[in-house]
Amino acid sequence: MRGVTFGRALALVLLAATPVRAQATLTIVAPAAPGGGWDQTARVMQRVLAEIEPATSVPVDNVPGAAGTIGLARFVQSERGNPHALLVTGLVMVSGAIINASPVSLADATPIARLAGETEVIVVPAASPHRTLADLIAAFKQDPGRVSWGGGSAGGTDDLLVRLLAEQVGLPASRVNYIAFAGGGAALAAVLGGQVTAAVSGYGEFAGQIAAGQLRPLAISAAARMAGIDAPTLREAGVSLDLANWRGIVAPPGLSDAEQDALIARITRLATSEAWRQALAQHGWEDQFLAGAGFRQFLLAEQARIEAVLRRLAATDTAATPRFALTITPTMVPDATLVVLGLVTASLVIARARRPAPASPSPGARMTVILAATLLFQPWLMLTAGFIASSTLLFAVTASSWRGIRPAPMILARDLLVGVAFATIIYVVFTSALGVALPSFSLLTSHFSLP
Amino acid sequence: MMEDLWLGFVVALQPINLLWGLAGVTLGTAVGVLPGIGPALTVALLLPVTYGLDPTAALIMFAGIYYGAMYGGSTTSILLNTPGESATIVTAIDGHQMARNGRAGAALATAAIGSFVAGTLATLALSLTAPWMVGMALAFGSAEYFALMVLAFVMVTTVLGGSGARLAGWVSLMLGLALGSVGIDGLSGQARFTFGVPYLLDGIDPVIVAIGLFAIGETLWMVSRGPDTDHVVPLRGSLWMTRDEWRRSWKPWLRGTAIGFPMGALPAGGAELPTLMSYAIEKRLAAAPGEFGRGAIEAVAGPEAANNASAAGTLVPLLTLGLPTSATAAVLLAAFQQFGLQPGPLLFEHEPKLVWGVIASLYVGNAMLLVLNLPLVGLWVKLLAIPRPWLYGGILVVASLGAFSVHRAAGDLLLVALVGVLGFVLRRVEAPIAPVMIGLILGPAAEQHLRRALSISQGDWSVFLTRPLSAALLAAAVAIALFGVARGRPAPVRIEP
Repeated sequence: MRGVTFGRALALVLLAATPVRAQATLTIVAPAAPGGGWDQTARVMQRVLAEIEPATSVPVDNVPGAAGTIGLARFVQSERGNPHALLVTGLVMVSGAIINASPVSLADATPIARLAGETEVIVVPAASPHRTLADLIAAFKQDPGRVSWGGGSAGGTDDLLVRLLAEQVGLPASRVNYIAFAGGGAALAAVLGGQVTAAVSGYGEFAGQIAAGQLRPLAISAAARMAGIDAPTLREAGVSLDLANWRGIVAPPGLSDAEQDALIARITRLATSEAWRQALAQHGWEDQFLAGAGFRQFLLAEQARIEAVLRRLAATDTAATPRFALTITPTMVPDATLVVLGLVTASLVIARARRPAPASPSPGARMTVILAATLLFQPWLMLTAGFIASSTLLFAVTASSWRGIRPAPMILARDLLVGVAFATIIYVVFTSALGVALPSFSLLTSHFSLP
Repeated sequence: MMEDLWLGFVVALQPINLLWGLAGVTLGTAVGVLPGIGPALTVALLLPVTYGLDPTAALIMFAGIYYGAMYGGSTTSILLNTPGESATIVTAIDGHQMARNGRAGAALATAAIGSFVAGTLATLALSLTAPWMVGMALAFGSAEYFALMVLAFVMVTTVLGGSGARLAGWVSLMLGLALGSVGIDGLSGQARFTFGVPYLLDGIDPVIVAIGLFAIGETLWMVSRGPDTDHVVPLRGSLWMTRDEWRRSWKPWLRGTAIGFPMGALPAGGAELPTLMSYAIEKRLAAAPGEFGRGAIEAVAGPEAANNASAAGTLVPLLTLGLPTSATAAVLLAAFQQFGLQPGPLLFEHEPKLVWGVIASLYVGNAMLLVLNLPLVGLWVKLLAIPRPWLYGGILVVASLGAFSVHRAAGDLLLVALVGVLGFVLRRVEAPIAPVMIGLILGPAAEQHLRRALSISQGDWSVFLTRPLSAALLAAAVAIALFGVARGRPAPVRIEP
């Protein structure tokens, strides 16, 4: 029995490693690195779609960066009018686009559906004196600076929740002593070790420790109590606020109504399937399915609410007077680095100037310049002429410049031949066997683009 | 405990699980060698495919991929001067010089055997001390991390080179620090040195910089000096490690393990800091520190061991806290969740067979990897016999491929070319290369922890001295600084990475 399972699974692995030429493709762009929530959402969708639409191949494309706004910008630009591409999105992208002053926002994409949400939870270590949210808020109101809140990156869901909470209890958002960590996991270590007073993150991040009794959940941010979670909602605890770390799907701009409706129908089929329900339960995601016009409304409201709190935060930030003379501002270290860099470079130049310059003939100066120029030219060439052509050129130029002489036609031809063979092998291995796309010919409209 | 481990071996040694383990380590070695394809991406690609598989089998395969990639990653660093991921950046510094000196076989062998020794010892430490390690790791707050960074800075300043090159070394270090502060500031969300370019918001990836400085900078430098000055010897002496190389390797392996495992277990750990510290320590302890940067085997043996030991260390917070401390660990966590398992304090209780099966499979996987990798050494070394123009052509193609496939952004190609030119200029003005990497890796982390610690303490600088662990680390840093001076060993004349 087991042998059969192994054989089947191995076949699946091999199958995944060979190009499947299905009739239809639906690319899901996860605007984050593998492992995060958006990537997981994309890959669960990929799995479920494989079950309910066996004829469609569903590649997942990771385009990480800047709270997803790099992926969004690329998606909006290069997939315009393509009804076979979807982008995973969520709350963090809404705030990320505002904070990073991104030239594109979710308003530029076509909303398809909100799929799932995860409730946030406020926790304290089991040994903490704060038994309830009221205790914590009382301490917070008494001396906001003394209560440190750990959570994920600045401007993310966790940060927003604490700022919104502060405003609800009558404190300016800028008075929050929010300690940003690289993610909920790092914040978990800090709160377990008692480094911060409280921590905020998605429930899943803390679920194991809550179950083991190492963390005490004080409140969840969902609108209503949730099954299996023994904690009141913020509203029950007297704070009129709810926030979900929702995730959804958008399509590129420029789709016809029919194309939009078709996509919405497909995603609705996905979201109502049994496999999807199981996946939601496994990941502890709450079903928050909301399609089409409803999702569009929701996006607008969410955008307005977050923009408002971020604007108030920025306004009070500049007005706040520094309380500590020795606080290190975000610009201090980089500025100091630049000053020292300038000083040491200047003294190096002076020291070298005193020394007689070593007569260093550079036999290959010209070739070096040619090679450097070829390298700087690579990004453009790879995008327009494709990986094979650009790599062949780079290979031949490097080989010739290493020889340091103008190559004879025969030698050049051989270099080009070896180069094209080498580049082709790499190209085939990467795109076909590994499923990692490299630019091919005439990909001017591809989703790879220069910054 | 021993019973648990026994139970684990019973699971891991089932033929079906052995097969999955073998598939994992083979795949892992392959992706480790391929530039830009890391274990994180591989596991993510396989995740949907393995749905419906027995969780133990899938996780054994994933763990094999993780360990295998750590083995394979050093290969491109040594042969092509092109590190595929941040964990093997340090290996490239001396590993490639060894390859140029005809000792590629020895470098690859010391990396493979060192990885085996470190992987096995660290897995042993993982099975024996995981609960205790977690307690220690959690005691590490931002103040302690900052103190640790100070200690690391003090230790690696030796890498800056002798008095002659010290000024140039500082220029390199400051360049690295400046590059490190590009991007969104993690604490305030403020963009720094991004000049309105969205591509720069996420900062500059050390792997891209390493590829540019090492592979591209070196090739430009070679070309500028003309073909007659280049001496690459495919093989000098024995293919395998000589008796002397064994003698010089075993201590760095053990020290690397001792550094790598606990640092990997720290929630804000990773492989960069331990590999860098191992390099610095080996240089301090070496009989001939002047050889560092020119192909010292200790500089490959130590960091490679530290790298593999830290990979095992990463599993401590993952299994006991459900806390991923690296990209690969994050994907492994997603894998656990896909199978409905919640890593954390209760996982050992609820799923002992699975946890101990995976741990036991790591021992088995390590042995498999050694058997798999040693015969490959001979094959890899043959690569160096390729005619020189084609070898360099190949290196540049692989370098640009590696730079592109890390994030699949064309901006990275431009960056890697610019950094390559910078690497050429640094070589031209006789400035050392390694400090750029040190500044780039250590700088941003140190700054974040400093500011985070001060933010938690509300601006009170005394936290660094009143917290015992932090005070001890700082005292060690001071002691090493003084001890280093008192020892008065003549510093090496110049470092030529």
